[in-house]
Amino acid sequence: MSINPTDAELVAEVREWLAVNWDQGRKHDPEWLGKVVEARWAVPRWPTEWFGRGLGDAQARLVEREFKAVGAHGTGQDRSNLWANTALAYATPEFKAKIVPALLRDEVKMCLLYSEPGAGSDLAGIRTRADSHGDHFVVNGQKVWTSSAADADYGMLIARTDWDVPKHKGIGFFFLPMKQPGIDVRPLRQITDEAHFNEVFITDATVPAANLLGTPTQGWEVLQTALAYERSLMGDRARGPRSGAGGSTGDMIGLAREAGTLGDPLIRQDIARVTALRTLNGLNNARAKADLAQGSSSAIMSLGKLAMSRILHEEARLRTSILGAASLLEGPQFPRAEDANFLTLNAYFTSIGGGTDQIQRNIIGERVLGLPKEPEVDRDMPFRQVRSG
Amino acid sequence: MAEFTSDDRGALREALRRLLQDHGSEADVRRTMITDSGHDPALWRRLTDMGITGLLVGEAHGGGGGGPIEIEMVMEEAGAALLCSPLLSTGILAVGLLQGLGNAEAAARLLPAIADGSRIATVAITGTTGTWTEAGVGVTATRSGEDWTLDGTASYVTHGQLADVLLVVADTPDGTAIFEVEPSTAGVAVAALPTFDHTLRLARINFSGVPARVLASNRPAWEAVQEAMDLALVALAGEQAGGARAVLDMTVAYAKSRVQFGRAIGSFQAIKHMATDLLLETESATSAARHAARCLAENTPDAAAAISLAAFACADAFVTTTATSIQMHGGIAFTWDHPAHLYLRRARADAQLFGNSNYHRERYVQHLERQS
Repeated sequence: MSINPTDAELVAEVREWLAVNWDQGRKHDPEWLGKVVEARWAVPRWPTEWFGRGLGDAQARLVEREFKAVGAHGTGQDRSNLWANTALAYATPEFKAKIVPALLRDEVKMCLLYSEPGAGSDLAGIRTRADSHGDHFVVNGQKVWTSSAADADYGMLIARTDWDVPKHKGIGFFFLPMKQPGIDVRPLRQITDEAHFNEVFITDATVPAANLLGTPTQGWEVLQTALAYERSLMGDRARGPRSGAGGSTGDMIGLAREAGTLGDPLIRQDIARVTALRTLNGLNNARAKADLAQGSSSAIMSLGKLAMSRILHEEARLRTSILGAASLLEGPQFPRAEDANFLTLNAYFTSIGGGTDQIQRNIIGERVLGLPKEPEVDRDMPFRQVRSG
Repeated sequence: MAEFTSDDRGALREALRRLLQDHGSEADVRRTMITDSGHDPALWRRLTDMGITGLLVGEAHGGGGGGPIEIEMVMEEAGAALLCSPLLSTGILAVGLLQGLGNAEAAARLLPAIADGSRIATVAITGTTGTWTEAGVGVTATRSGEDWTLDGTASYVTHGQLADVLLVVADTPDGTAIFEVEPSTAGVAVAALPTFDHTLRLARINFSGVPARVLASNRPAWEAVQEAMDLALVALAGEQAGGARAVLDMTVAYAKSRVQFGRAIGSFQAIKHMATDLLLETESATSAARHAARCLAENTPDAAAAISLAAFACADAFVTTTATSIQMHGGIAFTWDHPAHLYLRRARADAQLFGNSNYHRERYVQHLERQS
């Protein structure tokens, strides 16, 4: 590894390494990822003592470009690996040494233990408790909307450690071992009749004190770091039609033509209106990217999720309108109806999940437009006295 | 077209913004909008000096050689300040038509005077139907030897009462053609129309046996009219995006300062959520307007679709923003002396010119059909 390489030296080095080590068709398994970590390509922005090269963003992107050019994965984890980044920032040195390389090699499966039945939009109102017993904590409570919980080795857990301080100040952040008797994972059946998430019931589960990130009451701050990485990865996670029969997500013309409603002037107006929403969102994102490239940050970035939830609800409404009575039906022999009905329900995944549209509007109003916050009655109150329900 | 760097554009925008702060304030707008002409000749001279009136005119004819990107930017500032001027009619629509006709003689005769602000031109397109379509043209031209005469009515002619040269779109036995008419010619009757938007001037013009000079074109004249309207639509989209931005800023500032129930009304979610939705409208309008300008400047295959999209998206965004702004302000914006209604009036006018949103949505769907 050269110290402070020029761009040309760096590109030559990564190309040479890929030429020697990468074969087309090679699996992206822990063995490959281990090589990438060992060669310090997994997290080139990180410091040299933690598997990195201390590169700046521009040079790290050169590395990513070279990997992408040959179809190899594993680099850029200093941007994309939520788990490893959070651990690097806050874990104790002993736990970090154990968990970080395993995370970079994708050897441990992870899940998120944040939301609770009583703490959705108001995440700081969690009531799952972690009580200290010296070298370990005992955890009790219930988490919800956890994906991949059944397979996970660890869950990134927020739990209340101090009930006598205001709600943001008494939270701890843990890597909770999931494979233990006190953890009960139950699939959660969604309105779409799918089950992508779980409820996790936690009864007297234990977590070593060494698995605590930051201090026992620093959890809210750690969470903000983790959420920032998660948001930067969110991108456009919205899903298209389930059947795959209805053409591309935006092709309402094709759908109306098939349904025989393309001549209806009201449908035509609606198609223009709804198609425009998706196109405008694309134009907004392109403009935000261009602004960013010129070094000025843009308000538009924060609008993407809100815009997408409107697009998804509107597209589902339009599909239903195009189909008319055919949307009454269900089942594999009616793929158009399946799509319209599924998308109608699944649009809530985006307008509720990851912060409801209403919470998004609060955030945008406050952070982008600079409008004052709504007073919070429980902000400075010891959590024990905060009303729940 | 001249090359404009992003620094050139930034400097022009900044200079125009300052000019309008100094000479196009709300007080100036209110003073100007109650005059007969509805425009301020002193401000017009300053705009000429800055190169705005001739921005789109080619350098060979004494103009700035700008294009859609520059004029869209200028109109964002004009929209924000509610500029009262015939810029849209003379510097954009008429210039666009004259440059699109491919008639070198007419271009050389008319463009320099338009660029230096000494003559104001406009284009009479639609009849009393107000559709701005070829079928909606209300003037007929009759030929007798080499001479043409015009009969009929053109309406909703923007700044028709200010113009000293009229470019009249008329039906002929061989299709649409463009005629040049001096408004002082016998048989021309220009009647100012009272407008809901007091910052706009519209006229109905009757032609009765009016001798007119035909402006020969090397292409179907309606194509050139359509092109000029596309340019005007891009300019209007810029005006709408700029206007929406100004209204959003004004409304957010008010929501931070107005106190009820012991707190700024902007802290209430009912207000905050409306403001956030307006931000999305404004950003989307800005993206649409700039994208349409870029497509037109580069003459991309999807330029027509981008222009139609901008036409309805920006028109609707400006109307929504101005209308919602009045509601968010409450009682103060129900008063004549508050500027909110001036913007709403402008938004409602802009939403009709050169085809309304329903028309442009249909045009947009036809583009989608061709792609599908």
